Amino acid sequence: MSGELNIKEENLGDSIEVYLDGEVDIYTSQRLKDKLYGIIEKNQLDLRINCRDLSYIDSTGLGIFVGALKKAKQNGKSIYISELKENIKKLFMITGLDKLFIIEE
Amino acid sequence: MSMPVDNIELLLPFKAEYVSIARLTVSGIASRMGFDIDTVEDIKVAVAEVCNRIVSIGSKLSKYYKINFAISEQSLKVLFTCEDKSIRCIFNNEDAELAVSIIKALMDDVEFCTDGSYILSMTKSIGENM
Repeated sequence: MSGELNIKEENLGDSIEVYLDGEVDIYTSQRLKDKLYGIIEKNQLDLRINCRDLSYIDSTGLGIFVGALKKAKQNGKSIYISELKENIKKLFMITGLDKLFIIEE
Repeated sequence: MSMPVDNIELLLPFKAEYVSIARLTVSGIASRMGFDIDTVEDIKVAVAEVCNRIVSIGSKLSKYYKINFAISEQSLKVLFTCEDKSIRCIFNNEDAELAVSIIKALMDDVEFCTDGSYILSMTKSIGENM
């Protein structure tokens, strides 16, 4: 019924990479929140969110990214967001979040 | 806005798992009307933001909210209604800031607080995007 979201994580040594595959919406966002917050609390490392296979995100999902960034900053860490599709990059620009996160191609 | 040629209505429960149905429906309608792919995506995102908010607020009086898609030759008007009249001005809170910026940027015309007969209306014109 609702969009699927698959989340995978990989420890790169100096950071944790999280791969998002599918849709982050009001239905799937709680799982994303639990995952990201859990990773940040467990690891004192930078977080890299790979969005190559992320097809959709709404403000609920963007809000979770912001919350995760606040948590990471408390530990002196950053969040890098990479391989955003154009439609999603547009939302980052509209909301000004492109200035808050480190966006990589 | 010109008179609608056709109307499509969608009645949805206040449940997060059904917001994707609104996204799929409006994508189909906007594509059928001839909006380009990027604009279809914009309309889909804006509609979903409103649905998210309505679902988050919820209702003790109504089981459903309704989305009306008024299709005319020049535009698509999306009207959100609910029998529960307490659901009005749904984006007045600070935590809705992201959603409001998205909706304002993606749609041509949005009525956030209405006279009370409906929750919100938003319009996208074909001419401005083709």
